[in-house]
Amino acid sequence: MPEPVAWCRIARLRAGVFALLVGLSGCASFVPQTMALRDAWPAGVALKTELGEVPFFPQQDYQCGPAALATTLVDAGVDVTPEELVALVYAPARQGSLQIEMLAAARRHGRVAYPLAPRFDDLLREVAAGNPVIVLQDTGLGPMVNWHYAVVIGFDYPAGELYLRSGQSKRLAIPFTVFEYTWKKSHYWAMLTMAPGRIPATATESAYLAAIAAMERAGDGRAAMPAYAAFLERWPENVAAGIGLANRHYALGALQDAQAVLRRTLAHHPDSVAVLNNLAQTLSDLGRNDEALALAERALQRSESPFAATVHETHALILQRMGRNR
Amino acid sequence: MKSALTRMICRFLAIAVMALPFQGVQAGMVGTDQVNSAASVQTDRSVVLNYLSRSQTVNELQALGLDPQSARDRVAAMTDDEVGTLAGQISAAPAGGDAGAVVVLALVIFAIWYFAFRR
Repeated sequence: MPEPVAWCRIARLRAGVFALLVGLSGCASFVPQTMALRDAWPAGVALKTELGEVPFFPQQDYQCGPAALATTLVDAGVDVTPEELVALVYAPARQGSLQIEMLAAARRHGRVAYPLAPRFDDLLREVAAGNPVIVLQDTGLGPMVNWHYAVVIGFDYPAGELYLRSGQSKRLAIPFTVFEYTWKKSHYWAMLTMAPGRIPATATESAYLAAIAAMERAGDGRAAMPAYAAFLERWPENVAAGIGLANRHYALGALQDAQAVLRRTLAHHPDSVAVLNNLAQTLSDLGRNDEALALAERALQRSESPFAATVHETHALILQRMGRNR
Repeated sequence: MKSALTRMICRFLAIAVMALPFQGVQAGMVGTDQVNSAASVQTDRSVVLNYLSRSQTVNELQALGLDPQSARDRVAAMTDDEVGTLAGQISAAPAGGDAGAVVVLALVIFAIWYFAFRR
């Protein structure tokens, strides 16, 4: 039976070999998505691209958040400087900017803030489609944490590099592996600030609708109109977007436009109480109470709807207007 | 005791209703927000909780050095889900700020890896 000390040595040796093996095999799990790209480059995406026109704002002090945001906002046609964005996203006591505030600030400038799915594929797809992507990286090592926003503006896969507007660098070239290592720690957080008439390459119907609605609620109703219009071109059957666009027209007094949108939506959803009601109200405002009444009565038949109270009001109003006209 | 609690809940509800971002375009029209939230049930409880999360987040932002008005404006631009995520978590949430110096250290150590394999 070996001495306890010898046992201890063997155990240490085993632990060392084990750690080494884990370290070597660990490369794949270190940068799993970069490894996955070796096997499957996203279909239809060019191997190299660079958005050279994207502006550059060198970062001041700790303000990489405002600098990154200004980069994509100006690219999306907003007239803004990092200094103006400091008031919207910078938190002095944290010497930095929170992710949610980055999204919220874009909305306040009438741009659709769209968080990407946490995938390298989606990041590359967006850049290839011409959309610079804000990413959150942790550029610290080990226990040191150093959160940093940068903007991905291109990549060259054969050369193994991504190109970023980052801090003081106008064009930081960084290997895919290193980039993923720093990006992974933010759970692959990335966002776009889209001009309202454009739709991200990786947008999903529900997530992009939510992004538009969030922008509309944040205060810029005017920007919501082209956003809903573009959305409906892509997903013409969406009820909420149809109602959203029609409501924008209605609020501006463009009743004919509102009516046209609602009719198209109704064709896809003949039983939607909200569409029936809003179309009835719009037609009644246009003086076409007979058509309006027929629609309101169709809506009334669905008494279980959450909008039943509104339908009753609309119905009563139409009857009242008809009585007055006779 | 009970009446004091009831009164407090009533106050919250009253404020919550006033603070509701729901606005029909006009009487008679179903609003866009109403359609969007019809699927996710907007109970009284969720309305009050959301109101509380929002005021908590405003307070937390003020604690980070913002003036009350801009803290309120910033929170107003967040969605209900976002406020729910952030409330109480602000000090733990990542704040991208980048001191800069650490990057250099990181790059030096990554240099070996850089030349070993880049993609």
